[in-house]
Amino acid sequence: MNASSGEAVRSERTFPRFTAGQRWEHSLLILTFTVLLLTGLPQKFRDASWSRYILATPDRVELVRTIHHTAAVAFLLEAAFHVGRGLVLLARRRLSAAIFPTMQDLRDAGQMVRYLLFLSPRRPRYGKYSFEQKFTYWFLFFGFGILIVSGLILWFPTIVTRVLPGGLIPAAKLAHSSEALVSAIFVVLWHFFHVHIERLNLSIFTGRLNESDMRRHHGQEFERLTGEAASDESTGDGG
Amino acid sequence: MKPRWLRLLAVTLAAVGLLVLPAAARADPPAASPTPAPQTEAYCLSCHGQPGLTMTLPSGEVLSLTITAEALRGSVHSPLGIECRACHTQITTYPHPSIDYATRRELSRGLYQACEKCHADNYSKTLDSMHARAATAGNLEAPVCTDCHGAHDVHPPDQPRSHISEICGRCHTQIYSDYADSVHGAALLQEGNPDVPVCTDCHGVHNIQDPRTAQFRVDTPELCAGCHADAELMGRYGLSADVYSLYSLSWHGVDVSVYRAKWPTIWHESAVCTDCHGVHDIRRTDDPASRVNPRNLLTTCRQCHPDAGPNWTGAWTGHNRVSLERTPFVFYTQAFYGDFVNFVLGLSAVYVLLQILRATVDRIRTALR
Repeated sequence: MNASSGEAVRSERTFPRFTAGQRWEHSLLILTFTVLLLTGLPQKFRDASWSRYILATPDRVELVRTIHHTAAVAFLLEAAFHVGRGLVLLARRRLSAAIFPTMQDLRDAGQMVRYLLFLSPRRPRYGKYSFEQKFTYWFLFFGFGILIVSGLILWFPTIVTRVLPGGLIPAAKLAHSSEALVSAIFVVLWHFFHVHIERLNLSIFTGRLNESDMRRHHGQEFERLTGEAASDESTGDGG
Repeated sequence: MKPRWLRLLAVTLAAVGLLVLPAAARADPPAASPTPAPQTEAYCLSCHGQPGLTMTLPSGEVLSLTITAEALRGSVHSPLGIECRACHTQITTYPHPSIDYATRRELSRGLYQACEKCHADNYSKTLDSMHARAATAGNLEAPVCTDCHGAHDVHPPDQPRSHISEICGRCHTQIYSDYADSVHGAALLQEGNPDVPVCTDCHGVHNIQDPRTAQFRVDTPELCAGCHADAELMGRYGLSADVYSLYSLSWHGVDVSVYRAKWPTIWHESAVCTDCHGVHDIRRTDDPASRVNPRNLLTTCRQCHPDAGPNWTGAWTGHNRVSLERTPFVFYTQAFYGDFVNFVLGLSAVYVLLQILRATVDRIRTALR
């Protein structure tokens, strides 16, 4: 009882960042992308010993392909839902267009590079999404687009070539396996660094971001939401 | 002085010696002996060289027993001094022991076993062959040594080289006629080309295996590559030696190499060379009758991809390296992933490294403050 009366209860303001739907989408994306990667990489690297262990029998190859196709359908539905929902909400003015790149992102990137090279003490002040986050989104948006299109070409090659030239098939094969690897490398290198190592940012799971992260990493957005100044943290690395 | 009887003895002995010694020196029979020694070729030919000598087997087949000296002298064996008895081991005397073979074929299959005496290696290989298995399964027409090599007139089988394929063609008539029309067979039979394969180059010689097995199927690309990946050999005919390495990278090739390495005995349909190019009837790709000629390619693809449309053949890169002219889609995809994407990923990595550097410096500064 002493403890409770002796310490001031510290309440932290949090700010909404992602809707429940967006959080579900992200979770589904993690699940399907991981399954697709785990069932795709052994097929890409069939000569590797670990692949030979996974694809130990012809039946196993069939099983892995079936799992890959099943996960691909879920991935495809999620992508279609995401784009469809986005377009509908944007058209109805119920979704902010904050994710789209602007000239300000280029200026922010220039400012950030100057800051990283010790040429400027000032970090850029970001809105809802920093240029780093937009880069993550659009890199994977187009990457997943390539994976879906090339994957469908590989899955239904004879149907596709009724209409489109046959030369697309070997190109799709190359694109699918290259893009999968590039996306995986990008997620680990860029996305994991920014949300796990640079700082632990779980807002895509909780839906909310705490005040200090809002002030420091999304100063403009904080000011827009609260009308308060984001403090001088953003003028230097502060801490 | 010696007694007289002693002198008489000496003279007598000398006289006897003069008479006897030359006779002793002529102990061997004269060269122009009318009856040669038993068990020599000449001895056998004294009867078997006569025309019209026959016997009737229990089956009713009439067996010619005549063999000419010319036929024997033309063989590899006789000039080396390997004579009749080397193979006809059961005949040592005249009159000969009776023959207990009912048919001519039985007789062949019995007598050929003598080959093993000298050619044990190749003989035992034949016992492991498809032909031996056919015989075990009851087909006594399956060839034995003498069917291919001849009995009395054994010659080196590859003089000329086309002789090998002709020998096989005696039984495998349809395959031989397909082969004779093929790019390989025509070059062999019409030009005496030394580079093209004869039957045994692909099928092996004495231990010929069943080519219809899964194992033979997955080994096929490697077999063709024996010549078609040889740049020097292919260069002589203006052919690409990359066909095998590029095939190995293709969908079909990767699939087949996996099956070859892991499941060589499990039948798999992924295309090997012969599925598209044909087996014995392989033709030049610019031959209108070739299965892979652009006119026939779609039909060939449809063997496995029955619902393929006319655009389908464009998917086939034709064993060619990626190029803007032939495979523009692959070319641009490769350029995109080779240069552009690597550049973007590299830039991202540099940016992350700068972030790590800046954060580390800031922490050290804060700690020192």
